[in-house]
Amino acid sequence: MADKLIHICHLYYDILNLYGDNGNIRTLEKRLSMRGIDTKVSRVTFGPVPEDNDYDIIFIGGGQDFEQEILVKDLFEYKADWLKAEIEKGTVILAICGGYQMLGKYYEAADGTKVDFLGGINVYTTANDKRMIGNFIYEYTTDDGETFPIVGFENHNGQTWLGDGVRPMGTIVKGFGNNGEDKTEGARYKNVFATYSHGPLLPKNARIADELLSIAYERKYGEGLSPLEHEMEDAALIDIAHQLGYNNI
Amino acid sequence: MSARSTFAVWAGKFTTKVLKLTGSGGTTLPGKVVLKLCPDILKHLAKDMKVICVTGTNGKTTTCHVIRDMIEAGGNTVFCNDAGANMLGGVVSAFVAAAGMNGKVDKDYALLECDEAALRYIVEHFGELDVTAVVTNVFRDQLDRYGEVLTTVNKIRAGLEQLPNVKLILNADCSLTSSLQDLPHKEIYYFGVNAPLYEGTSKDISDAVYCIHCKTKYKYDYHTFGHLGGFYCEKCGYKRHDADVALSKVLEWKDGSEVVEMNVFGENVKAEVMLPGGYNLYNALAATTVAHTIGLNTEQIVSVLGGLSTHFGRMEEVMLDDAKLHLVLVKNPAGFNEVVQFLIQQRPTGNIVFGLNDNFADGKDISWIYDVEFERLTEAAAGADNFFFTGKRAYDMQLRLKLADFDTEKFHVEKDYKTLITMLKQQGKETFLVLSYTCMLEFRDKLAEFVPLQKYAKE
Repeated sequence: MADKLIHICHLYYDILNLYGDNGNIRTLEKRLSMRGIDTKVSRVTFGPVPEDNDYDIIFIGGGQDFEQEILVKDLFEYKADWLKAEIEKGTVILAICGGYQMLGKYYEAADGTKVDFLGGINVYTTANDKRMIGNFIYEYTTDDGETFPIVGFENHNGQTWLGDGVRPMGTIVKGFGNNGEDKTEGARYKNVFATYSHGPLLPKNARIADELLSIAYERKYGEGLSPLEHEMEDAALIDIAHQLGYNNI
Repeated sequence: MSARSTFAVWAGKFTTKVLKLTGSGGTTLPGKVVLKLCPDILKHLAKDMKVICVTGTNGKTTTCHVIRDMIEAGGNTVFCNDAGANMLGGVVSAFVAAAGMNGKVDKDYALLECDEAALRYIVEHFGELDVTAVVTNVFRDQLDRYGEVLTTVNKIRAGLEQLPNVKLILNADCSLTSSLQDLPHKEIYYFGVNAPLYEGTSKDISDAVYCIHCKTKYKYDYHTFGHLGGFYCEKCGYKRHDADVALSKVLEWKDGSEVVEMNVFGENVKAEVMLPGGYNLYNALAATTVAHTIGLNTEQIVSVLGGLSTHFGRMEEVMLDDAKLHLVLVKNPAGFNEVVQFLIQQRPTGNIVFGLNDNFADGKDISWIYDVEFERLTEAAAGADNFFFTGKRAYDMQLRLKLADFDTEKFHVEKDYKTLITMLKQQGKETFLVLSYTCMLEFRDKLAEFVPLQKYAKE
């Protein structure tokens, strides 16, 4: 029956791969295959966007500062127009940490110099002398008004600030989030999901994984995704949430 | 020794005694006391000794063990710090404990395992001494602690810059380590592997994809593991340096050892390396390079490599009644991937226990388990009876293996070490326990209530 297929683009897979980012791709693949749906993963690096680019989901991970320079160069040379168009037409995009910042307008260093980024979503990032690091929890609210916690690990210097037309992914319960000041975490715009919850966000936050998959699947096939259990995923989520003193689950 | 440094050593010894009497197990406090009294104490303590510093992400402890055997085989005496004491305070404490009441350590060599970030503080006053520095490799390790891999390289560099006259011994296959060759040091020797170690290791798991000098993607003639191998940059010409001690071929993989062909400063030799797993070959090569530079001949070197005790190399075997336990430490993706390779060769049939903590010493961030290629192990471990998960992040580990398509019917989470050990004891099956650092310490503490254990070496 496996004639349905979701096409995932792992953008800059060999540069933005700092924190176990493969865990996110693996989760998407696994939760699709358990539903009898095929996955094709296209790993895209520097150079022109491949011709076979009917992606349903684009995933962008986090990276080291060392590579930022070469990355931005490639972004503007080959990817900017395409990626902006993908955002506007509603392709599901998951961007994490460095990938999140890169979708924004710019990064402003401590000395005031600005590095221009994509400008695909209305956020910008400023340097901060304090590193925001540790396990963190934020509450995510679905379009249907249901709230559930997302638990992850953040590790960033940059403070990200949301502009008009962009809402946060959630509200910080424990940790820093976007900037450590306004209690927001991450950004939502069209079908862009951007967060500082780096690396393996999706494995134990199976509900957010299914949220992404549902949107992508419905856009492609016009029908909903079948429900799927996430017991072992919840066990990991609840265990760490409780260790962090969050008991609202 | 100056009067001041001798007095500082006494004060340190006194502190150690007080700690022992009060039952506190702190190992770094005596060092702190001594440093307060005499900040350049190490210079005085190591003055008449030849110093060998071993740093790098993986393999420090094992490399030190092998070097120690090499030094002793050459008829010299050696003082070493314990693996757990590789920061400045720990090194000083170890020195103080080894010193006599005259404030001196009466050995020929001081062999110091140095934490990468602590190296520059440890060697700060070593400028006039006879020092050899070994850098085993640089991998991504406990990211939340050190930041990026380049930060680690720069910390090591900052240490070596203070020692312009030392002999440097570098891993030729590691583009990060070998970038230290542009230091002004006159004597630099390299060790490395001249061919792929084994089939099937992923080429994607890399901590150094882009040239450290010009940011062009490296090309490789061959990979050994992680980012190690025959790298070269087409744009700027930075490439793997020829190795003075080079492994050319693994002739035979045995259970716990390898028979290899290698070239030691121009001489071809065959040797059996009594350490399990390919990653340990690098440690043997690093130690062999040191051995050559301190005057051992190849015959002596081969004899030491063939006589290493199998307690080395992260593996520890413990009989718990009928259950044979193999304790294996994992600290980072590169090391864990080597353990995966080792387990593939073992094809385990009994139990495998995975233990993961997220304390400071383990790395607060556990995302690194997603950089471990458990998918390669799925089939080889299919014959195991049970997979147990323990430690603070047992549930995350369990989920990781679910995503690697392990058989979830065989999964059991057991966070209580005592219950787990009792179960393993009753089952009497061969069990591999793969544990992160503090999980290993906690588990061993509990295990020691069941069976006598040796003092723990960190790797």
